[in-house]
Amino acid sequence: MKDKIHLACIIDDDSIYINLIKKIIETKKLCENLLVFNDGKEGIEYFEALLQNLDEKNIPEVILLDINMPIMDGWEFIERFTKIKNKFNSHITLYLVSSSIDVRDIDKAKSLSTVENYLVKPVKIDELEAVFNKTA
Amino acid sequence: MTESALKQNLIPDKKIAYWELNNNTSFWSKAFIKQLKFKPREVDTSLNYFLDSIIHENYREAFKDNFYNLVRNDVDFRQKLLLKNRSGGYSEFICKTNDELKISLNKESTKTIFFFKSKLKTHKKVRDNNFYYLETATMTSTGSWYIDFEKKKSYWDDITRKILEYPEDFIPSLKMAYKLYSEEHQALASSAFFECSLSGKPFDLEILMVTAKNRKFWARAMGKPVFNDNKEIVGLRGIFQDIDDIKQKELYLEKTSKIIETQNSRLFNFAHIVSHNLRSHSSNLSLIMDLIGDVESKEEKLELINNIKDVSNSLNTTIEHLNEVVTIQTNAQQSKEIVSLSKTLDQVTTSINQIIKSKKVTIVSDFSKGDKVNYIPAYMDSILLNLITNAIKYKHAERDPLIEISTLLDFKDNDRLVLNIKDNGSGIDLDKFGDKLFGMYKTFHYNEDARGIGLFITKNQIESLNGEINVASIVNVGTTFTIKF
Repeated sequence: MKDKIHLACIIDDDSIYINLIKKIIETKKLCENLLVFNDGKEGIEYFEALLQNLDEKNIPEVILLDINMPIMDGWEFIERFTKIKNKFNSHITLYLVSSSIDVRDIDKAKSLSTVENYLVKPVKIDELEAVFNKTA
Repeated sequence: MTESALKQNLIPDKKIAYWELNNNTSFWSKAFIKQLKFKPREVDTSLNYFLDSIIHENYREAFKDNFYNLVRNDVDFRQKLLLKNRSGGYSEFICKTNDELKISLNKESTKTIFFFKSKLKTHKKVRDNNFYYLETATMTSTGSWYIDFEKKKSYWDDITRKILEYPEDFIPSLKMAYKLYSEEHQALASSAFFECSLSGKPFDLEILMVTAKNRKFWARAMGKPVFNDNKEIVGLRGIFQDIDDIKQKELYLEKTSKIIETQNSRLFNFAHIVSHNLRSHSSNLSLIMDLIGDVESKEEKLELINNIKDVSNSLNTTIEHLNEVVTIQTNAQQSKEIVSLSKTLDQVTTSINQIIKSKKVTIVSDFSKGDKVNYIPAYMDSILLNLITNAIKYKHAERDPLIEISTLLDFKDNDRLVLNIKDNGSGIDLDKFGDKLFGMYKTFHYNEDARGIGLFITKNQIESLNGEINVASIVNVGTTFTIKF
């Protein structure tokens, strides 16, 4: 098995969900560090700022992105992120994680090349492990 | 002589009544003249004489059209008509042309119209026909009219006078024509009449008319041109039919179906919201259960059980919010009463007096264009409170809030009362947030007390009473909410 992921990023407005994911990551030792943003806007601002000062240890290898968030939703985040993702010199794998089972959301996610996969909440522990192991 | 005998002979027989036309000659067979009880040479066989003195007026126009079409465009026809004999009695005939009889007379450029006498007795029929016409016209409220361009006069029948509520002896004039139509439909009427008189295009309109007693009603107006022998348009003739009952029902149905459509889409939306909002909690619960099964230590399991409490709390909050929305839908059945906007505003400002003072809010109001509306008082309270507190919450960082509240009447929409609430706050980027502004759990500012439910509730309250809410906003300038009651 390859090295563990050193940095992952969660963008989600549901604090209970974030705590649970944190807990799983801790218990299963899935990655060393975790970045958390409560909204797409905070998330994209982080990545856009990162471009000014590309430090590899600040670039997450995996992003778990929610769709429904109050200020900037997942779709808009993807739109802006797609414009800059090639400037990071390293591959960032993006997963959409949402409780939406709306076919329109799922189809839209499939049509976007930036999205690696669409996970429907509740995420299973082994699903999450698979995401981290695959990326690592 | 019968049709079949004619087909066998293929040549007009002495006993057959027919009218032969060849270039400029017009020939009536002896049998035809005899059937009309004239003597040969005594009768004028011209079209004009036939139209003026022989054919019954009810069939005249149709025959004239058919005749011209046959002579000029080779269009065959068959038609029923009543012909008057020399002694003044009418007989019913069926007339047919070559093609209708499926025979070939081998005579180029000759047109022949055959007349076959119908077996029905006629004098009585004419009377009956008139009776039935009048009955039909009365029962369907269909009046006829005629405009004579040469004499510059218009004529109405009794039923036209009746449905337009003019006295029986009223004489219409061309000048008053525009008065017959409701203001918003005058242009429609004049363009239809104008086009029909210029190019001969017939019209068939549903139009709002105005009676002599100034009552508006929906009518069907049909018209077509009247030609002289040179095919020039010399007048218009047509009908007005009172279709107010049907049209009102149609409009009512249209309105009802629109209401049902919006209610349906609101319900669908709501079902979507319910499913989504409940799912996020249930998926957290199942994730917790998953984790409880996975962790080893007792402490960790206990900690996770505490998490269930959090989920349960937020689930409760969600359900309270959903309840609030459901209550709006049921409350819409509550009795409305006349609500004064100025009084409601006074109550609202009193209740939030503290905030108004501490944030240095100025509220200017002008209800001179309309202050009273039939509404559910609690909704009016809630709508004003919500929009005003929103305006204060999202005030501009560099200036004190100024909120201008005013009403106006929308003349384009049956003088509906419109309420404008304008602020000088930080504004909303509508390009980005426009479609989400009234959604549930959407906030657009990093304010801590934004809970993303206020505008959703406000919109639901307004729509449950068949109103509309719209927003215009410029970032850093301010926001205006417009409510149509």
